[in-house]
Amino acid sequence: MSPTPVASWARPRLVAGVASVAGIAVSAYLTAVHYAGAVPACPANPTINCEAVLTSAYGVIAGTSVPTSVAGMVWFLISAVLWTRAMRWAQLAWSAIGLATVLYLVFVEIVKLGAICLWCTAAHALVVIIFIVALTWRPERT
Amino acid sequence: MRKPVSRTPAWVMPAAVVGGLAVVVVAFLIYRYYTTPPAPTPLKPDVTQQLVATITSLPTSELDAIGLGSANNRIQRVSGSALTGSTGKPEVFYMGAEYCPYCAAQRWPMIIALSRFGTFSGLKTTSSSSTDVYPNTPTFTFHGSTFTSQYVDFRSVETSDRNQNPLESPTSADQGLVSAYDSGGSIPFVDFGNRYAFSGSTYVPDILAGMGWQDVAIALQQQDSTQAKAIVGSANLTTAAICKLTSDQPAAVCTSSAIQALEKKIG
Repeated sequence: MSPTPVASWARPRLVAGVASVAGIAVSAYLTAVHYAGAVPACPANPTINCEAVLTSAYGVIAGTSVPTSVAGMVWFLISAVLWTRAMRWAQLAWSAIGLATVLYLVFVEIVKLGAICLWCTAAHALVVIIFIVALTWRPERT
Repeated sequence: MRKPVSRTPAWVMPAAVVGGLAVVVVAFLIYRYYTTPPAPTPLKPDVTQQLVATITSLPTSELDAIGLGSANNRIQRVSGSALTGSTGKPEVFYMGAEYCPYCAAQRWPMIIALSRFGTFSGLKTTSSSSTDVYPNTPTFTFHGSTFTSQYVDFRSVETSDRNQNPLESPTSADQGLVSAYDSGGSIPFVDFGNRYAFSGSTYVPDILAGMGWQDVAIALQQQDSTQAKAIVGSANLTTAAICKLTSDQPAAVCTSSAIQALEKKIG
């Protein structure tokens, strides 16, 4: 008989679930700001400049006028759904995709634009938290 | 007898992930440091004069065909006592800084628009800060330039040079305009005779990334280029706001269908 996970994954699920919901909230805020044509609440200096990042060519999904934050919202939404069940490999694979995207976006911010968006960084940090939870959590076996 | 296997402490994996990410970020910073091009050398005065002549003599047919182009209309209607310049004509007031990439972007359309009402002299080429966002955006500086016109006065304050050293100080009256119409203190700030004002740039400076001044001038002569659509569109918007101040004078500029349409747009 194959070993089965026991229900001792409440804590990782809680952490990943809360991070996913927080990510949806951050992405929704950035999406709302985009469509309102407003500037997000964010300090502006030579290093931190949300407006510079969000209004750049990378602020929208390539070839569309859809803000990148919509992709973030979809990612966090799927993540939240995945963490309702004990599916370690799916969670790990999905969070690895998220982490790879975060690395690309950080590359864009630092190398291409020379500016950091604090709201984006908050969303990136949440992806990293979800990745760490997916990586470290292992189902206990009976 | 086998030794008992010790389990890896729980904190090791998260610490390894965070440490790995920190290394990647540092690598990005180093890569940026070594790939950021040095500040371009400003052009000589005679070449600059030729460049200004090129961008301020774009065919009217091109200006009219582009209309608003891809420019973002940031101009807001404001109310206040009419702002007049030293010669008593309606004043266009600009406040910015040489290091600022958004100011760098906005000077191109301002020069094109104002040159339809008068003549600049003493403009010099420069570029925005090498260490700010959109580094080394090619532009001009209003510092040390003069503008003469029979229709409007133009006054500029460039508060800092491209290395953020102090350059020109705004007067208390200038500060009053900023307080009244640009509460966030964003630059560039442009006030059209206290009837219209805007802050920020009307297009994203990244369309000038990696370009030299002459590259921009060439692109401006091609009405389908990204740069022409943004810069000429913004220049037309600025022209429309100035035409509102001058009661549509000169007619040759202000009565074109494109400018008239933009005048209606800004209200």
